Amino acid sequence: MRTRALLLFALVFLGGSTASAQFGFLKDAVDAVKDNPLKSNNSTTNDTLKAAGQFGKGIAGIGPEEEKKIGDSVALEIVGKYGGLVRDAAVLHRVNLVGRALARYSDRPELNWRFGVLNSDSVNAFSAPDGWVFITRGLYTLAKDDDTLAGILGHEIAHITGRHALKIVENSNKLSGGLGIWASTNQKVGNVQAQLKQFDISIDKITSTLFESGYAPGKEYEADKDGRNLASVTGYAPGGLRSVLVQLQRRGGDNKKVFSTHPPLAERIKRLPDEPAPRPQSTG
Amino acid sequence: MKPRPAFRLWPAALLLATVVVAEAALTPGGTAYTKRYKTTLLAEPSPMASPTGELAFGRQLKIVEMKGNWLRVSDGPTGGWVFAGSLTDSKPAETKGADGNVLLASATTATAANRPLSEEANAYAARRNLGSARVDLDWLQAQCKGVTAADVDAFLKAQKKGEYQ
Repeated sequence: MRTRALLLFALVFLGGSTASAQFGFLKDAVDAVKDNPLKSNNSTTNDTLKAAGQFGKGIAGIGPEEEKKIGDSVALEIVGKYGGLVRDAAVLHRVNLVGRALARYSDRPELNWRFGVLNSDSVNAFSAPDGWVFITRGLYTLAKDDDTLAGILGHEIAHITGRHALKIVENSNKLSGGLGIWASTNQKVGNVQAQLKQFDISIDKITSTLFESGYAPGKEYEADKDGRNLASVTGYAPGGLRSVLVQLQRRGGDNKKVFSTHPPLAERIKRLPDEPAPRPQSTG
Repeated sequence: MKPRPAFRLWPAALLLATVVVAEAALTPGGTAYTKRYKTTLLAEPSPMASPTGELAFGRQLKIVEMKGNWLRVSDGPTGGWVFAGSLTDSKPAETKGADGNVLLASATTATAANRPLSEEANAYAARRNLGSARVDLDWLQAQCKGVTAADVDAFLKAQKKGEYQ
């Protein structure tokens, strides 16, 4: 009992610690399970170790291969829901040059960054793990200068470098793995159907956040701040994101179509430095 | 049962660690980390300066001096100037590959670049009736391949962005 209590304590408080500490803890967790006297046979032990491995994945984080599978699938859902992609080579070229310029100085510069425009008149932007960034046509038309576009894309890049979507799955894995350790004794979790179901559930968790509830306000403010800083260090006017938010606030209109999954515009504007709006420029 | 003294100190230690992380920044006297597969150090704070060394991913550096957006850093005997946007103030995380081995994020993502949609995503598209979206993403991937790293570099130079400011 004492061992379990210590493990639970460690899980709660070490969830955000360094990778090396996490790996060290995982070994301890597996060793502790191996020594668990409640286990009565090899099958039970193996199943519990599987659960420990799942638990450990939640702690250690999702690796690049899994991130790609998740990111590609979330990107499919985004494109499917928002009218497909605008197939305009000039628009795509501009968005990718500005986006890739920003991504070069992001905290994950080696990621496979891709930027697309969604064929929707709503005003929003989305990102998916593994470097997928999307801006709706409705928002793109408001980004008449590259400073503003950089502010918008910087916000979405920050969601990816901050692993905000992946953390939804990682936290969920921690919970389910934890339940596996504490409650499961002999469940068969290795079959293909169960794995597919688990994969689809993970994607659903991310898309329901993206399309319905939105990230927690703290994550959005963090992405606003980090995105602004990224635009600034890249050389774009740091007030780009704020200027488009102010523009949208002044315009009013149907709030359900304007950053509907983000915190209120007024609160986001208040939290960003009051900097001059970018000067209009020609785009190409 | 009273907790042992070591356990009583954990919350305070964790709080201290959080504060230290929150205050991390790229300033002289501080610490920076490389975040690219390769980071070139230069003799002067200019992209045209001659290289003085090359660092691998995740190296911890001491920030010696700052000039605008450029930092003079040292890694033991190796030192030089680097654009601030090429470094990060937090240690890049190690990740695990599909085989479960610990590896560096940059090493894997660099080789993963420009791969087609994963088999799992293609199967997901079939299960969820997202065939049209899959075609769109295939098109986007093909278009994005056309924007090379050299194109981005030329864009930065022309626009006077990044290290070319």
